Amino acid sequence: MTNINFQDLSDVIRLISDIKHKNILSSHDIALKTEAMLEALIAQGKWTSASELMQLIKQRIKCISQSLPMEATAINVMRHILKVIREEFEVASEKKGESQSLQYIVTGASSNVLDYSQSLSSLQAALLDHLSEYKTELETSAENIAAQASEHIHSSETILTFGTSKTVQRFLKAASKKRTFNVIVVEAAPLYLGHSLAANLAKSNIQTTVIPDSAVFAMMSRVNKVIIGTHTVLASGGLRASSGIHALALAAKHYSIPVMVLSHMYKFTPVYLGSNDHEAFNDCASPASLIPYSSGQVLNKAEVTNAVFDFVPPELVTLFITHQGGNSPSYVYRLLSELYHPDDYEI
Amino acid sequence: MNPPQPTPSVKADAIQKPTKPQREKKPSKSKPLNDEKMDNPTSKASTNDKQLTEKQLRKLEWEKKLSEQKGKGDIKDGLSLSKAELKAKRREQQEAQRQAKVEKDVKEVKDKPVENPKSLEKKPTRMLPGEAKKSDKKSTVEPKILKSKHVQLVQHLYKEPNPEYSSKLVNFKEIHPVFMRLGVQYSEKVILGSNARCLALLAGIRTLINDIQTPSKQEFCRYLQGVLQNCTDYLQECRPLAVSMTNALRSFKQQLRHIETIETGLNDNDKRTRLIDVIDTYIRNDMRRAWDAISIKVNAKIVDGDIILIYGCSSLVRQILLEANKDGKKFSVIIVDSRPLLEGREMLRRLISAGIKCSYVLINGLSCVMKQASKVLLGAHALLTNGSVMSRIGTAQVALVAQAYNKPVLVCCETYKFSERVQTDSFVFNEIGDSNLLLSADTSSSSSPLVYQKDNPKLNILNLLYDVTPPDLVTAVVTELAILPCTSVPVVLRINAGESNV
Repeated sequence: MTNINFQDLSDVIRLISDIKHKNILSSHDIALKTEAMLEALIAQGKWTSASELMQLIKQRIKCISQSLPMEATAINVMRHILKVIREEFEVASEKKGESQSLQYIVTGASSNVLDYSQSLSSLQAALLDHLSEYKTELETSAENIAAQASEHIHSSETILTFGTSKTVQRFLKAASKKRTFNVIVVEAAPLYLGHSLAANLAKSNIQTTVIPDSAVFAMMSRVNKVIIGTHTVLASGGLRASSGIHALALAAKHYSIPVMVLSHMYKFTPVYLGSNDHEAFNDCASPASLIPYSSGQVLNKAEVTNAVFDFVPPELVTLFITHQGGNSPSYVYRLLSELYHPDDYEI
Repeated sequence: MNPPQPTPSVKADAIQKPTKPQREKKPSKSKPLNDEKMDNPTSKASTNDKQLTEKQLRKLEWEKKLSEQKGKGDIKDGLSLSKAELKAKRREQQEAQRQAKVEKDVKEVKDKPVENPKSLEKKPTRMLPGEAKKSDKKSTVEPKILKSKHVQLVQHLYKEPNPEYSSKLVNFKEIHPVFMRLGVQYSEKVILGSNARCLALLAGIRTLINDIQTPSKQEFCRYLQGVLQNCTDYLQECRPLAVSMTNALRSFKQQLRHIETIETGLNDNDKRTRLIDVIDTYIRNDMRRAWDAISIKVNAKIVDGDIILIYGCSSLVRQILLEANKDGKKFSVIIVDSRPLLEGREMLRRLISAGIKCSYVLINGLSCVMKQASKVLLGAHALLTNGSVMSRIGTAQVALVAQAYNKPVLVCCETYKFSERVQTDSFVFNEIGDSNLLLSADTSSSSSPLVYQKDNPKLNILNLLYDVTPPDLVTAVVTELAILPCTSVPVVLRINAGESNV
């Protein structure tokens, strides 16, 4: 984009810097912030037609994807809102949109294509209405996922989880109200976020065992289910999750143990990536957390890699649990088409 | 108030001796500072001593105590500790000291009679009451705390702090000080790795043979056997013997019996030389030659441009890589490491200083680097009869990921580590490490949230030392005999047994 007016983009720049400086950490907060940003954008009314508004949002998406290539949540929320705009426009203009029926595809009737540049007075109110609905959905999503806990965990099970995830924590806590079970938490080097999850679970009276990353294979043989969170769900049904999860999923596969992934809808991303070392896929964090700077001379010559993500292929995932219920990885494509308009997959 | 330092004059030692036990008891609280100051010089100085004079015995006792504290202190070295951690550390140290003191006192009881028969009647009566008190305290307090912190699954693996442990120590008669020291070094993981442990054990037995004096009317070999049994019982109590150690011991005992029954005409000194020769032969043939042979075999498989992925710090793998480097092969190494031992750092240091190109990842980043690797080289603790490889925890995972990326996995294992045991999971037989090692996040400055929940009965920390890799994840085992599939273990065992019977 050559004509990006930075004055207009101040809101998204603020969001980017917040994410970059880790002022907002969890993806849930990022989703809420993004939603609030767009709500403000729509409410300000600096747009006259749906196509203009969509243009504004697309600008923001580009801006984020350029400065935070790994950030999926904010883009997905915006992408979903693009679809909301399209839907609301259709309703407001009282025209039938591009139908997906076979007849349309065959006849290729183009007379009915919507003209989004038409300005409609009722659109703004309808959008704000829809957005507040969406906001509630975001806010209750974790709750809805947790509510399904007792459908997935039976008594005296052993659950293995990796690192930390607020959704998983909530899910397990919800399950513990009705069932007693054991949780094994993998500490997840190099940040050891598993420690905080374990401490929180133990506080709420769940029998918890912490193991180092190396013990995953050994422990897996005694595990009933693996329940993890993820960073992103890719279009193929694969995961972009914290590093170490691939090995964990392989071990689960080796022992035929189901891997359940708890995910909010905004983590579903219409991107196909299929390898760990793909440039667009992975990120490297500071090696300082692997080996201390005090190690001295050795560090001059050694190459220390600290990859942040692991790609988990779809065949290693058994189930995705979203607020709508459970789905297998092969169904992700359909969920995506419900979430986003096909024209918005690539922006 | 300082505890007596190993002073150069023998006289001073002799004077201090009788008063020492009482002096030891009081200043226990002010000790940590003194100990840390003295840490380095003493431990360095005493690593070389082989001949055990009266003075050096003293030194040993010292070192034992220090090494206990050092083992615990080392882990957190170079960290800025929070207050809570410092407190925990101090508590640990005090605990370690108390333990060391018990052991030390016990040893004094035992050492004295040997050195100075006159004090025999006096010492035990004076020492034992205090001894009893301490052991009482332990047996009533500790089991309660520990039991609740046990992971149900591996309940059987926890070593109960034996209530009669200290009294048992008293009853462990005639444990040579070398074994005393070995026991502590094993349990504090100062000597780590099954090869190193086995070498240390054999060196210990050699010293024992040199020092042992047969009482009149007893046959040398039989007497030695009894003493050795006591010593190994004690070692077993400190840390379960490695498979390499049990195998070495078995072979030694076999030879011992052979000498006892067949060669009856020899005098004690001849037997001594024969037995020492047996040990030296074992070290030379079964260990060192095996290492060289394996190293040659693996070297033949390393080609220029290879990227070799290794895990942890296996002494054998290290030797292989260093020798391949010496041969001028151009290869690079990916070192995979894991908590809590972080042995890989040592490996990294050694390989880098040999000029090998290295990269380093923690085990969580394994999947990201496995694609680059062309071979995976692993060390082993033992090879079981069903073909499973028992090795440091995490090995199975490395093998699993390697298989997922279709990389060949070579396990390097000497045949003296082959075991007749069979095992299909990692729980039936294993060892539990110190769970406190996992409490800290070693590179971050803030303390782990686990520290605050440490006493929560719902929170367990499990630190297993070994895992078992199923045979289908291993491409081949490199032994000194040949490169074999895992499933050939029973064949090798049969052949070896046949040879040693001839």
